[in-house]
Amino acid sequence: MVNLRSGLLLLAPLALVLVASFAIPLIMLVPTSFREYSPGHGIITDGWTIRNYLNILTDDYYREVVVRTAWLGISVTGLCLLLGYPVAYLIVRGNPRWRLPLVMLVIFPLMLNLVVRSFGWIVLLSNRGLINNLLIDIGLIERPLKLIFNLTGMLIGLTHIYLPFMVLMLVASLQNVPRDVEAAAATLGSSRFHIFRAITLPLTAPGIISGSILVFVLTISALVTPRMLGGPVYQVMATLIYDEYMQLLDWPSGAALSFSLAFATVLIIWLSSRMTKRWAGLA
Amino acid sequence: MTEQKPGFIVSSFALLVVFFLQLPVIVVVLASFSETSYLTIPPQGWTLDWFREVLTDSTYLNAIKISLILAVSATCLSLVLGVAASYAIARRMVPGSEALASFLMAPLAIPAVVIGVAMLQYFSLVGLRGGFVTLIIAHVVITVPYIVRSALASLSGMDVAMEEAARVLGADSFTAFRLVTLPLIKPGLVAGALFSFVVSMENVPVTIFLAGARQTTLPILIFTSVEMGVTPGVAAVSTLLIVATLVVLLLAERWTGFHRFV
Repeated sequence: MVNLRSGLLLLAPLALVLVASFAIPLIMLVPTSFREYSPGHGIITDGWTIRNYLNILTDDYYREVVVRTAWLGISVTGLCLLLGYPVAYLIVRGNPRWRLPLVMLVIFPLMLNLVVRSFGWIVLLSNRGLINNLLIDIGLIERPLKLIFNLTGMLIGLTHIYLPFMVLMLVASLQNVPRDVEAAAATLGSSRFHIFRAITLPLTAPGIISGSILVFVLTISALVTPRMLGGPVYQVMATLIYDEYMQLLDWPSGAALSFSLAFATVLIIWLSSRMTKRWAGLA
Repeated sequence: MTEQKPGFIVSSFALLVVFFLQLPVIVVVLASFSETSYLTIPPQGWTLDWFREVLTDSTYLNAIKISLILAVSATCLSLVLGVAASYAIARRMVPGSEALASFLMAPLAIPAVVIGVAMLQYFSLVGLRGGFVTLIIAHVVITVPYIVRSALASLSGMDVAMEEAARVLGADSFTAFRLVTLPLIKPGLVAGALFSFVVSMENVPVTIFLAGARQTTLPILIFTSVEMGVTPGVAAVSTLLIVATLVVLLLAERWTGFHRFV
């Protein structure tokens, strides 16, 4: 019993902070999302409505933003997998002497301030940016290509930001692939590509899936990079929530969007953790 | 013995991708030394003017100061609260440890912008928005999961028998924790604290809803000034951040083998 009392004493301070300034604020967002908003009058406090949620599904503009967010999540995840797998493979299977430097080069951008990384892409991609200047100078194009404030810029920037997470997840799972199995297959005459397809790839599936879920969830939640590389016009769900609160002051719509986004991320994380538990039980 | 090794094509592609990861960093550093506000190849001329401008501009200096104070206070508070709570959970001193651990990690599952707007509405309602303590508490909420994650991993990875041995030999529980447990979990905690510091230093989605006019942090300053257009000052202050990150990362690697904890 003494143990329980000191346990509660150790736990209580953090639990209180999280209840008072995380759980309660989130719960208090619920009633806001069912209020009506009228421009000029603000939030109308008598009566409830589910219009804010219906709007997300029926309003053309909202639907476009939601679909774009999901689509960006899928594309960025795919790109991270495609670019990340060879890097992870080189780290785990390449020359051991390169290993630490390569890992550090993957971690470094991860630890670097997100705003700085996004700013770097602005310097590269904007109309008078490095890439356009270079292409114009060597005479490949006459007018600058539109690389920013659209899908291109967003895809490049977000892939760059979340690639390190994918690489680190894949490294962890590649390390668990027993090399004897691959060697056995090679001895029995399998080609390198066949070994990769039939052994390495399936055995790293858990890493591929957890890395993909992480990158997808991070991408659909991202605010900073989409705003810096997408501008005020090319919106995703997070930037729309930001504008509903800061510019339009339509808090009810913002709250409904917030819940929809949070519901999506929590559901995906919950489903994936259930899935991995079931697999662990099978193995 | 035939080993599966990456071939030439795979290796070259992977190295290109690693270069892609460093590309914005290289460009920002070059831009900060360039005379023109837009970077060209080759650069039009070299200058240190932008650094002088940033280091004498009170807006930037203030933002750096506020960011550092905020990140250090939030990380210290997160460390104390997070390690205490993790200890109670890892040693099964309280029931429902798995559910409790997920609750402490929950801020990671909710998009930061959602936490931001929820706090904006709540702290405005209770009249605490704009206070610096409010901002520190908000940063504890978003940084503490990183501390809890590394503390739980380190605590469950260590041998409990060592702690018990200290207790048998007459140490009270706090002394046993301080002299035996703490040194054993220290590398993990250093890594967790570094993550917490980085997360606080770069946070925009929560800070931007809560910070008062005099509490503009460095990332908020860069984020909002970029909307006005690219200025070399931003490149210079970014270069300072790049150098600081590089130094801290290399030191952390030397002291604790940081890459094992990522």
